[in-house]
Amino acid sequence: MRKRSFNLHKIIEKRDLTPSTFVLRMERNGLEFVAGQHIQVGPPNGIHTREYSIYSAPGDKDLEILVREVETGLVTPALKKLKPEDGVVINDAVGYFTLPGDLAEEQPLLFVASGTGISPFHSFVKDRPALNYRLLHGVRYASEAYEREDYAEGRYVACTSQDAGGDFKGRVTDYLRQNPVNPDTLCYLCGNCDMIHEVFDILEEQGVKSDNIFTEVYF
Amino acid sequence: MKYHLVVLGCQMNHADAERMQAIMAKLGYAETEREEDADVIGIIACSVRQKAIDKVYSKIAKWNKWKNKKNLLTFVSGCVLPDDREKFLKLFDLVFDMKELASFPAMLSQYGVTTPISNTALIHDEALQEAARPATVAEKLNFSSLKPAENKVKAAPQTWEVEPIYNSTFEAFIPIQNGCNKFCTFCAVPYTRGREVSRPSADILEEAGKLIERGYKSITLLGQNVNSYGLDKKGEELSFADLLDHLGAMADASGKEVWIYYTSPHPRDMTRDVIEAMARRRSLAKQVHLPVQSGDDKVLIRMNRKHSMERYREVVGWIRDLLPTATLFTDVIVGFTGETDEQFENTRAAVREFKYNMAYIAMYSPRPGAASFAWQDDVDHAVKKERYAVLTEDLEKEAVVHTRELEGKTVRMLVRGKDRKEGYLSGHTEGKIIVRFASEDDSLIGSFVDVQIESVRPFSAEGKLVNAAVTL
Repeated sequence: MRKRSFNLHKIIEKRDLTPSTFVLRMERNGLEFVAGQHIQVGPPNGIHTREYSIYSAPGDKDLEILVREVETGLVTPALKKLKPEDGVVINDAVGYFTLPGDLAEEQPLLFVASGTGISPFHSFVKDRPALNYRLLHGVRYASEAYEREDYAEGRYVACTSQDAGGDFKGRVTDYLRQNPVNPDTLCYLCGNCDMIHEVFDILEEQGVKSDNIFTEVYF
Repeated sequence: MKYHLVVLGCQMNHADAERMQAIMAKLGYAETEREEDADVIGIIACSVRQKAIDKVYSKIAKWNKWKNKKNLLTFVSGCVLPDDREKFLKLFDLVFDMKELASFPAMLSQYGVTTPISNTALIHDEALQEAARPATVAEKLNFSSLKPAENKVKAAPQTWEVEPIYNSTFEAFIPIQNGCNKFCTFCAVPYTRGREVSRPSADILEEAGKLIERGYKSITLLGQNVNSYGLDKKGEELSFADLLDHLGAMADASGKEVWIYYTSPHPRDMTRDVIEAMARRRSLAKQVHLPVQSGDDKVLIRMNRKHSMERYREVVGWIRDLLPTATLFTDVIVGFTGETDEQFENTRAAVREFKYNMAYIAMYSPRPGAASFAWQDDVDHAVKKERYAVLTEDLEKEAVVHTRELEGKTVRMLVRGKDRKEGYLSGHTEGKIIVRFASEDDSLIGSFVDVQIESVRPFSAEGKLVNAAVTL
């Protein structure tokens, strides 16, 4: 793929998933990345940007991010107002929350996300569908199980704390306590820091070495 | 015509300032220490602490009042957050990114300023200078073959394209990289300096070669994450280990005595071959500054440091195995958001385990622009002060074990200047342990001498001059 020559990317589609959460699909414009990396995105002519894990896969024609509007935020309300044909400013992709290049397909993987923290996992799975993974997604309501059809049958578990419409009623931490992992599992945690700390403790109690736990904190 | 430059913050800003000074000199401006005497006043800002940014606002308010009485042009550059930049645009005559430094003369010209030497093409005459200059050490040793193919492709301009005027005749700082990709939650640098960009290795080798030839004794490679050097070039540039190795080989072959340092590395990107290169090359100083920030894995996660204590331990293991004489420095933040007593105890344990020679300990304070600024600063100030004091005491206990080993021994040191104690000169060892000795011979400043250590404190030592050996 040719190296991109400018950082203004045109919006192709805005896909609403819930009243506050949406996927922005943008022109790729030559941007290179590895699944799990993040980009800084901001409205054109604005002075603020925010980091977003890339939702789409490196092999996709377009670029996607998953956004939840924070009403008091500096960036997301502006992004929410954007329409197809509008532009957004994007910096180069960076980040270390990536899978090893030499990962064996049979290697057990645990992905744990809260809310929009599912983004890098969506990219992982779209990039490498044959991965041997289990994805725990912590959300309040089943309606927040964003595009669950994109994950292979039986691999995605929506852990809903506020309704019983998911696959498991309760938090991801409750699920993990009831369903311990094999200590050889490589564990990837993405989302809010409190969830990550709690899951980190549980995994260590279950015998997973800290070197096999990878984290991406959303602020 | 005169200019005055205020430089705030880190060594990177000071290295940038040396390049700013070079441009001003080429334009015919003389530097003045008195801002009242200046026709042009600039400030290289730092956004790491609010206090530094407050100083910028305070200074410009004063300077703008002077404009009622005299012609004055003001500018600001350096590490500036987007919000502050917007405000500075209304307060300063010129606001620019350090990467645009090479265009500064053109900016002055566009602003209508007639410079003492009105030739805005001055800094673009490298081709002429190139033809006239003698061969450097790097060229003599044929290191030019290391030049990556894309070296001459001009991407975004960088400050290092301007040749500096060094403020010291014996120690120099060479920027090798700018920006940061790490996004530590306590730090705003990714928002002020942007993504990591590596300077072409051939340029670094050339600058270092010239400095070695001129007899510089201490050279420090600068970057926010020096050991991610080259990664942004995706295989088309030397790795940091290779860069160090080539620099070390060049310095060793020069026959000159020089200590080459680097700061700061990130534990995540540190590789064993960096330490191997340090062990292999005499001129690569045996001192490592490896920021740990916290000794607790969960605090490291909240800080978004991207490494565990296990990883940090592995790196220190390499240093101890391959560089048994090396000193180890670090940075620590105490009282970071959410840090519990137990987590702080883990940091104390790390200080004991890694036996640091020096740690720069900071009490956490939220920094505007950093992700953690939005979080509640929930560790009481009194608790932070207590943790700071306790950790400093722990550090002193560990550091003094090392300095005591120096007692009675003769150590090599670089004399850097007069000590605060009357009649003494001071400097540091290769491991950056501060040493002073009685002497009023200012001609020793900037040279290596041997000193026999007679008394020590945790982070420093005092001795008597054994010989002021002539060094090449």
